[in-house]
Formats: sequence, structure tokens, C-alpha cells
Amino acid sequence: MGAAYLVALLISLAGMAALDRRFTLFFWRDGWRAAVTLLVGVAFFLVWDVVGIDLGIFFRGETSFMTGVQLAPELPLEEVFFLVLLCWLTMNLHSGARLALGVLAARREGARA
Amino acid sequence: MTYWAVNAVFLGLVAVTAAAALLLHRLRARGRASSGARDRTEVVRAAGLTTVVLLVMTAVFDNVMIGVGLVGYDEARISGAKLGVAPLEDFAYSVAALVLLPSVWTLLGGRRPAREPSLERPARRAGPARPAQPAAGPEESR
Repeated sequence: MGAAYLVALLISLAGMAALDRRFTLFFWRDGWRAAVTLLVGVAFFLVWDVVGIDLGIFFRGETSFMTGVQLAPELPLEEVFFLVLLCWLTMNLHSGARLALGVLAARREGARA
Repeated sequence: MTYWAVNAVFLGLVAVTAAAALLLHRLRARGRASSGARDRTEVVRAAGLTTVVLLVMTAVFDNVMIGVGLVGYDEARISGAKLGVAPLEDFAYSVAALVLLPSVWTLLGGRRPAREPSLERPARRAGPARPAQPAAGPEESR
């Protein structure tokens, strides 16, 4: 019974929120739209997980890093937080890449002028 | 059923969602002035950069997660192709996220445009008007 993995996920999620707020990446662009997008993503990946677990493709490891709380057989509580992190990271990267490339392009234009 | 077979089903669903988002995007763009080839190049470049970064990050955290024993696989149901200790099949989740999430975001887009990503600090752009801007009239102080 440990919380190391859950704590690591929560710290990473706090990082996602900080970046999101600082650069207006996902929730700070449009809160409702982000919330629904994230919910759809997490639900989709949870179904994928359950199918994989049902078919015996993957299973929860026996480790002391997890709380041991299971939402379904072989589906640890931590998986939900992991999926939220995966989805938020993807959308932050998506907005962040456009922002970064846009800023670089603008600088190049500025240097040429 | 193998891990790849399951992935094929879910990636198929992602592809359908992406096609719907693309169609809606085209329909919406029809009414507006053409966004132009240059804009499209920027979108493709950003998508490429996002993909590379997410896949590299996936390789790192998936290896750590499997390495410390958070998850196990039935060797008979995976192809055996691995990047470190991570089965190649696991990357389907990240590929799906890369396509599905922006598609859903697009499908949800309505009349109200989302705020644009910005380097500007949040305090300067959001919330009530700053008292440091006396020039702003009551109409503008939203």
C-alpha cells in the first residue's frame, strides 16, 4: 500500500495546470470545452483499458507503489489520473506547439524587417 | 484477440471521429475567407512537433511505469516488438490521444471562439480590467 505513483501523478497534473494557466493552453482557453474534451478522452481510454484487461492483455502489477484501490478488477484508481494526465498533456502540447512555432515565425519576420 | 487487434478497433473509432471533425472544420471554413496554404503548413508543423514530443515522452514514462512494475502484459497477446521494455502496442494510446482529443475539441467548437494560447502572463489578460489602465472606459472593462 503506497501512494508514490498517485502522488507523482498529482504533481504532474499540477504542472499541467500551471502550464495551462500560464500560456492559456487548454482549460484556460475554454473551460467547458476542455472539460468535455477531457471527459470524452478519459472515458474512451477507460473502455480501451477494460477491454484489454478483459481479454487478459495487460494487468495491474503487484507493486508497493500503488494504493491498491481498484475501480474494477485489475483497474487501479491511479489509471484514471494517468489518463487525465495523458489527455491534458496532449492538449497542452498541441496548443504549446502552435504557440511556440507562431512566436518563432513572428521573430523571424521581425528579424527580416 | 491480440493487443494489436484491440488497438485496431479503437484506432478505427478515432479515425471516424477525426473524419467528422475534419468535415465540420471544412464546412465552417467555407463561409470564411480561405485560411491559406501557409496557415495549413503551420498546423501540420505544429502537429508534427506535438507528435514527436508526445511519443518521446511516452517512451520515457511507459518504460519507467513498466520498469517499476506498475503494469504487466501477457506475452502471448503482444507482438513482442518493444522499445526498451515498452510494447510497441502501448504507443497506440498516445497516437489515439494525438488525433482524438483535438478532434473532439474541434467538434465542440461553437459560436464562441476559444481564447488563443499566449505568452502574456495571465494577470495581464484575464479577469477584471487592471486599475493600472485608467484609459479603459467602462465599456471596455470586461
